[in-house]
Amino acid sequence: MTDHRDLPMPPPVAGRVLDADLDLLDRQILDPDGVPVSTVDDLELTDPDDLEHLDPDTPPVVSALLTGPILATRIFGGRMPDSRFIRIPWKVVADPGIVVTVGVAADSLDASWAERWMSEHVIGRIPGGRHDPE
Amino acid sequence: MILSDLLGSPVLTADGERLGAVVDARLVLDGPPDGMLAAARVYGLVVSPHSHSSFAGYERTGVDAPALIARFLRWRARGSMLVLWADLASFTDDVVRLRPGATLYSPRLSGDSA
Amino acid sequence: MKGLFAVALGVLTAIGGFVDIGDLVTSSVVGSRFGLTLAWVLVLGTVGICLFAQMSGRVAAVSGRATFEIIRERLGARLAVANLSASFLINLLTLTAEIGGIALAMQLASSISPGLWFPVAAFAVWIVIWRVRFSILENVTGLLGLALVVFAVAVFFLHPDWSALGSQLLQQPSPHTDESPATYWYYAVALFGAAMTPYEVFFFSSGAIEEKWKPKDLAQSRVNVLVGFPLGAILSLSIAACAAIVLLPKGIAVTSLYETALPIAQAFGKIGLIVAILGFVAATFGASLEVTLSSGYTLAQFFGWPWGKFRRPAHASRFHAAMILSLVVALGILLTGVDPVQVTEISVVFSAIALPLTYLPILIVANDPKYMGDHVNGRVTNVVGLIFLGIILVASIAAIPLMIVTGAGA
Repeated sequence: MTDHRDLPMPPPVAGRVLDADLDLLDRQILDPDGVPVSTVDDLELTDPDDLEHLDPDTPPVVSALLTGPILATRIFGGRMPDSRFIRIPWKVVADPGIVVTVGVAADSLDASWAERWMSEHVIGRIPGGRHDPE
Repeated sequence: MILSDLLGSPVLTADGERLGAVVDARLVLDGPPDGMLAAARVYGLVVSPHSHSSFAGYERTGVDAPALIARFLRWRARGSMLVLWADLASFTDDVVRLRPGATLYSPRLSGDSA
Repeated sequence: MKGLFAVALGVLTAIGGFVDIGDLVTSSVVGSRFGLTLAWVLVLGTVGICLFAQMSGRVAAVSGRATFEIIRERLGARLAVANLSASFLINLLTLTAEIGGIALAMQLASSISPGLWFPVAAFAVWIVIWRVRFSILENVTGLLGLALVVFAVAVFFLHPDWSALGSQLLQQPSPHTDESPATYWYYAVALFGAAMTPYEVFFFSSGAIEEKWKPKDLAQSRVNVLVGFPLGAILSLSIAACAAIVLLPKGIAVTSLYETALPIAQAFGKIGLIVAILGFVAATFGASLEVTLSSGYTLAQFFGWPWGKFRRPAHASRFHAAMILSLVVALGILLTGVDPVQVTEISVVFSAIALPLTYLPILIVANDPKYMGDHVNGRVTNVVGLIFLGIILVASIAAIPLMIVTGAGA
């Protein structure tokens, strides 16, 4: 097999380059206050019109970060129905660095429902749960 | 379509020869603005002949240390390449097929990537 | 002067906080059966934990990322899940041992059976984590743990045969020992696992983020680790030495903390015993807090939940729920009647098995300029780090076969 050092460099592009698995997958998502939202467990891409004859001019575009139960299907296999995805739309992403920052508060996203549930129904009900530690 | 549909899928040349498996998708943020960032389009796929995943991307980032680990992981990812979206013909039955005359590029990231 | 006070506090906390039930039990068992011939393992393990705690603290201070977040980001989800399962289960085992250790220490103090202390200990650990601030939690138990210095002092008061101790250090077994080589190496792995327990690294790096370390705090953390940990290891060595002096010649086996404390009773009588018990309680309680927090840290960091004692519980609810669940499970295991000393001995060996899972990602990330900027590892650190990774791998692979061959050190 050819050593990659002998292969030509691809044409340059005018935009930030991210490798999906290396730079996005499994990264922490934080809100503007640094509150953890969730992890990037998968990416939702737009579907090409015709998978048998891919159109070179319309590559798939990232429409949303996916989180939650999709982690299980990524690790163990299988595919859950699209309607069950927990999505963080690309348009709320502010900065994809070593953490992915979104531009909206954590509580406003679907992705934080489990944390809110646990907080309201379990932990918040134990005495002292809503106070800062002393 | 989701990313993990692509990851791990075998990649065949136009003649049916097996090139390897998809270990990553290279995205470029040069689309029209979508929220705070530009839209991220799939620029190409990183294909590895010998493994189904890339561990920490040593073959692309140029990180050299620690020496023994870097050498081992680069060996494991030897022969990796980038194929551009425009060179992909089809993605059916979880198999990616290339167009005839597709160019194989180096997967190295230039210094100013994310 | 305030700076000096902070430095002293950090070092003293590190010394007192170094010892946990694994160190207490393993050191005294090893001393009572092998004399000081295994002291070299303690030295090796201490160098290793200093190296990796320092590295993980530096990674946390510079990148703001804690260990398990890095394991998930660098290993990818599949390997990280395997790592999480193993680490979490071993953490749970260690937690069971530590809570059991509190009960053993309280048994010495009160002559009430440990079984009654288990629920009290678990509840006490929870209430402290629930309400007490991180820095107070750390400092109080660490300082009280300094009571274990009584073991170091006792070594001199027991009038040992110094030349016999010295020759044991140089690998001449005592005439009272008749253990097989396999058992020797089994306990070497156990002692190594006791010195380098994974939870210490999870805790240390998450603690760095709890206390909001920045690169300018690195110098302080370096002093805490490089001065505090070795001095803490001297406490472990003293416990082994006391066992070598008093228990070994009489062939007394360590089956509870009573035997561990026997040399102190011999040297200092009742007063010494009280001090030793204070040290035991502080060490096991402090370690229980750390291991419980580590269980919360590993799960929360893997799944990306909000975590940290710096957040009120309602703002880190799954983190707190995970810790409550861990304490309940550990309590459940103890209430089935298992012997806490045996749980401890098994937990340190399994810690040795899990070590590579934790250390490899840290070594990799400590070299990644995207996380570390200019603070990446130097060449020397990498060479030593790779050597230790090799040692850790050998210990990890040898653990199970040795356990089988020696019947878990019988």
